[in-house]
Amino acid sequence: MQTVIKTEGLSKTYTNTAVPVHALKDVNLEFKEGEFTAIVGPSGSGKTTFLNVIGGLDKPTKGKVVIDDIDIATMKESKLFDFRMRHIGFVFQAYNLIPVLTAVENVSFIMLLQKRPKKEMEQRAKEMLEQVGLSDKLNTRPAQLSGGQQQRVAVARALASRPDFVLADEPTANLDTESAFNLLDIMARLNKEENITLIFSTHDQRVIDRARRVITLVDGAVDKDEHFERN
Amino acid sequence: MYTLIKISLRNIWRNRSRTLVITTALVLGIMGGIFSAAIRLAAEEQQFEDTIENMVSHIQIHHPEFIANPEAHYRIPDGKRIAEEIGDQAGTAALSARLVMDGMAASANMNTGVRIKGIQKEAESQTTKLDQLLEEGTYFEEDWRLPSVVIGRQLAKDLLVETGSRIVLTFQDIDGEIVSSSFRVEALYTVTSRRFEERTVFVKADVLGELVGETDAVTEIAILIEDAERYREVTDDLRTQYPDLEIRHWADMEPALYYSLEVLDQMLIYLVGVIILGVSFGLLNTILMSILERVRELGILLSIGMKRMKVFSMVVMETTMVALIGGVAGLILSFFMIRILNQHGVNIPGGEGLEDFGFASVLYPDLPTSFYFEIGGVVILFAILASIYPAWKAIRLAPAEAVRAE
Repeated sequence: MQTVIKTEGLSKTYTNTAVPVHALKDVNLEFKEGEFTAIVGPSGSGKTTFLNVIGGLDKPTKGKVVIDDIDIATMKESKLFDFRMRHIGFVFQAYNLIPVLTAVENVSFIMLLQKRPKKEMEQRAKEMLEQVGLSDKLNTRPAQLSGGQQQRVAVARALASRPDFVLADEPTANLDTESAFNLLDIMARLNKEENITLIFSTHDQRVIDRARRVITLVDGAVDKDEHFERN
Repeated sequence: MYTLIKISLRNIWRNRSRTLVITTALVLGIMGGIFSAAIRLAAEEQQFEDTIENMVSHIQIHHPEFIANPEAHYRIPDGKRIAEEIGDQAGTAALSARLVMDGMAASANMNTGVRIKGIQKEAESQTTKLDQLLEEGTYFEEDWRLPSVVIGRQLAKDLLVETGSRIVLTFQDIDGEIVSSSFRVEALYTVTSRRFEERTVFVKADVLGELVGETDAVTEIAILIEDAERYREVTDDLRTQYPDLEIRHWADMEPALYYSLEVLDQMLIYLVGVIILGVSFGLLNTILMSILERVRELGILLSIGMKRMKVFSMVVMETTMVALIGGVAGLILSFFMIRILNQHGVNIPGGEGLEDFGFASVLYPDLPTSFYFEIGGVVILFAILASIYPAWKAIRLAPAEAVRAE
């Protein structure tokens, strides 16, 4: 399988605190196409920092993040915006939809930034909302959706533009059990059907139990990197 | 672009109460600005019409000694010819060659010091529109045995006379001899200046000329020019032409009025500036609050790849739309406000006292259409400028932190 992301000697130190915080220490990891990976670890272990750095939302202090043979750690900000838009899908903990746009508009939005043809955009957005079981909520605004439904829209948005990989930062943290399982089923199915690489940061055992690879971070360093056979 | 407009419009609608506050601030700002400008213009126009055009004229010419000793003795040499020459010059709108002198007016009950102006009926009505200022009586039309005099309403009150009453005017002839003559009050005129009304009387120049001993005598030439803004230039030209005469423009003759107009101008510029700045800072504060409330939302936009310039444009566009809504509403309301005030007039507080200085106590504000667009444009421009700082704050957000904001 093709390598989608590779990190080499990745370190991140926050110096704007009273005492410098070493959030990541020499992280060397590779993620292959179609992997379903959970990044786990206690609070403050560096999970979110790791996702931010490989997602191009934050710069590492040292090391490389190679995606498509390009080290995004050295990329200029303007190019990074474009790169994120074309290659990476994001699902955030707090749903994070644009409140003034309907479900279908939220899903289409990233494709709109990519300047896709209108017809293709609408068709793909509807298709993705159908895949996450929300074909009856196309024109509903986020405030009228439950937490679980909003997170499903966020998943549809992340996948709609067919990114190389999707980063999800604790996506089930705010969901009840039923909604969380529902979301995980959808993500697992899409991972298989669309062959999209999924990387989660999570505390949630329900997510960990579904992941085929579990990486444990402790104090910013890789403690364990385990692979599991799952259906 | 369409989606940006859609997001901006929906954001405006989402915070209806905030939008209403900003719109109201803009509407009030524009109305305040337009009201101030309209009052200023009305005051200026009233000043020119009442004081300059009805009383003083733009330029006056005298014998150099006449200012200190307003007597018939100090007449302008060859005054008639000079008046004709100036009247023929391009740029002269109207001209009145007068025989003016100080004297006393006495009725059966009272007497008071007055300035007696011997005028030519037609020339005076073209220069000061005296015939249109009459409140009562006729304009030198009566063929009484006694010659006619037109006096101010205030002087009539002071002397306890009315139209048809007889008064005696006393003055010096060209040789300095005291002359007294009876006149009958044919009309009462009214102007905004109470002082002018109680101090100035008009008689026919030929009558006065005969009494002072020289029918063609001219002591004052009052000139109205076509382009009122050019009064200094025209005065300078006349000074070059007639170096031996005392030639003064209205600002020289009425310095208090000139400076009060200047001060009024400055005050209104400051006032409009303060209103616009106040509205702009109010807007800036409100938009900044709306940005701080939407940090997470803006963080998502930046995270998923929306470029900072587009986020910047979105914030500026939101403000522009609110500014346009508030601007257009403000202009429409201002238009009707000025129309209503123009019909009913605006009472100036303390206006009674102002009349002594030539200011009207009631103003009728009016504005040319271009003014609405100028003031509306300035307020909208400042509103857009006020959005730049919040928009800049929005694009300075770090996406990784912004998406986690509470």
